Amino acid sequence: MVQDQSLILRLQSQDENAFSAVYDNYSGALYGVILRMCKDEELSQNLLQDTFMTIWDKAHTYDSEKGRFYTWAYRIAKNKALNYLRKPESLIQNEDLGVYENVAEEIKEPIDILKLTGSIKNLEAHHQEAIKLVYYNGLTHREAHEEMNVPLGTFKSYIKQALKILHKSYVKVIVLWIILVELFK
Amino acid sequence: MDKSQILDNGILEQYVLGELNMSEKVRIEAAIRRYPDLKKALEELESSLEELALENAIEVPDEVKIELLNQIKRAHSDIIALPQSNNKGFYLSIAASAAAILCIASIYLLVQVNSTNKALEIAQENNIELNDNFKSLNEQLVETSKWFEAINDPDSEKYILKGNSLMPNGIIISYVNNAKKSILINTEQLPKLDAEHDYQMWADVDGAMIDMGVINKEGSMLVMNYIDNAKSLNITIEPAGGNDHPTVSQLVTNVYLR
Repeated sequence: MVQDQSLILRLQSQDENAFSAVYDNYSGALYGVILRMCKDEELSQNLLQDTFMTIWDKAHTYDSEKGRFYTWAYRIAKNKALNYLRKPESLIQNEDLGVYENVAEEIKEPIDILKLTGSIKNLEAHHQEAIKLVYYNGLTHREAHEEMNVPLGTFKSYIKQALKILHKSYVKVIVLWIILVELFK
Repeated sequence: MDKSQILDNGILEQYVLGELNMSEKVRIEAAIRRYPDLKKALEELESSLEELALENAIEVPDEVKIELLNQIKRAHSDIIALPQSNNKGFYLSIAASAAAILCIASIYLLVQVNSTNKALEIAQENNIELNDNFKSLNEQLVETSKWFEAINDPDSEKYILKGNSLMPNGIIISYVNNAKKSILINTEQLPKLDAEHDYQMWADVDGAMIDMGVINKEGSMLVMNYIDNAKSLNITIEPAGGNDHPTVSQLVTNVYLR
């Protein structure tokens, strides 16, 4: 996906319409990340809102030289979710009220929306799992390799390979898409 | 940090996922700026993860966006509230400009008032002067009218006293009104005397010279003392201030009355 640089510039100059367009572009993707991390719709919606408020407030600090806008926004969303999940109160509350288990159980049913789809499904199971842990569960490489019970180096290569395959498939998709567009022109 | 080290150790992936601490981040960013192939690898990673995220996007209820837009409108109006303080500055600058304009206008008006005042003063002075002129003209007119009236009185008789050899060019015109017992003289053609001498007028009554008064050196039309039963009018040159009897040798003119 080509980044709309002028849209980002307008967002950076506090253009509300640009903000609305940026929200339309990225809210689903970011919500997908947050909801898969938190597994609670209401909480995730609040965190998403919080994320976009930060995007609005801090848009001027985004530097396109350092990477894509989505990556920048993703890091904000991930940090919001991790900060919430790692807050002692939220853990205590979960334990005391048993919310955590409830959430886990609740999620099991409508889990379909949380299931990863698209090109990632073409990956081998351990590649899928590795990506899911770091990208959608918010684990660090160190946490994730322990979770998967593989050495860190191995885990790193899982990630690397998975992303390489994903990239190839996306390039294919893009090429296909371009061919289709050319055909229907 | 070495380029291959970054690529081999999955550091770029950790960078994209936001797992690096600040100092690691700074080093990676410097390396990305330095090595174009690192930059390219980063772009591939980023777009892959972005595609992954877009593929796995979950629809967000509309309320979230509505609430957000409301929030940023509020935040925006707060931000706009800041420029409002700038607006204050703006209004202040308008006020300052207005004050400056007022000040300049005031100074201008003050100058105008001053010059108007001066003009008024001059006009007033002129007015006073004109008034004085008018007054003196009026007085002169009254005086002249009086003389005119007196001269034109049907009872008034005109006598011309021509100078003798002592006063060859001198002439005095006199108007005698026996009805009103008045005598006027016109001394316009009387030669000037020095400060030590005055002309004095005398009436001859049965051979006695009666003083009619010293002729004032100022003025041209004079009222003299009327003397009953005068046979003639005589003018002598006397010491300044007049004499109690005429110096006959200094008689300059005389006229017999009818």
